[in-house]
Amino acid sequence: MTTTEIQLKPLPGDLAIWFFIFMELLVFGLFFMVYAVMRLQNIELFNHYQLTLNRELGAANTVLLITSSYFVVRAVGAIRQNKINQCINWLYAALLGGAGFLILKSVEYVGIFSEGISLTTNTFYMFYLSLTMFHFLHVVLGMIILFAIVINAKRGAYNADDHIGLETGASYWHMVDLVWIILFPLVYLIR
Amino acid sequence: MKSYYNVHMIWAAMLALTGATYTMGRLDFSGVDVVFLLLLASLVKGSFIIRDFMDLKDVSLLWKVIMYGWLWSICIVIAITYVISS
Repeated sequence: MTTTEIQLKPLPGDLAIWFFIFMELLVFGLFFMVYAVMRLQNIELFNHYQLTLNRELGAANTVLLITSSYFVVRAVGAIRQNKINQCINWLYAALLGGAGFLILKSVEYVGIFSEGISLTTNTFYMFYLSLTMFHFLHVVLGMIILFAIVINAKRGAYNADDHIGLETGASYWHMVDLVWIILFPLVYLIR
Repeated sequence: MKSYYNVHMIWAAMLALTGATYTMGRLDFSGVDVVFLLLLASLVKGSFIIRDFMDLKDVSLLWKVIMYGWLWSICIVIAITYVISS
């Protein structure tokens, strides 16, 4: 191999999860684009009702998801060094971050619903609720996957040489984070 | 020389970018310039996630194009709609 050649690595985790991630990103991407285009036709309405959202909770949730994703990176790093207990602890920390996200989002929804707001209130809330709830369900699914990985790790299913299942779940969790990175500024901040 | 480009610094940088974008939103800054700055922050954070968290920096060009292409496409479309509306 010459010095100019780069050794390509395979995708982390199972190849199937990457096709699933690709499909998920396409769906969310379409949702984001439709939101942006629909806002063009209702600029004043979107700008007005965007200010009713709790930006503090939105920012706190961003911090929680980024940090949770970081913990998953640490878990993968630990298993690559065969440090199984460390890996499990990082996964628990990541699950805690995900739980924190779900709690804050639920607090936000309780506030919204207690004011009588629903999907049919107006176009902005229709997008806000459907986009964030769709993402909420992905966080729930991601946490179920992470929890299954913890159980497998405790059973000794992963080690430094074989941890494809862990990488598969980690990739999905990072996708959930990636989607929120766009969703948060688009729905809560950009006006 | 010690490299400061590591996963810990990337995490810290993403939190700092989140704080900066939240502050811009909280102060009700608006306009195309602010939209570009917020989208730029999302592009940087998204690139960190794809490159370093998902660990795609050394995978085939096809998957890099898919992932970065998704990120850039979304941000460009959003930017265009905000430019039109300004």
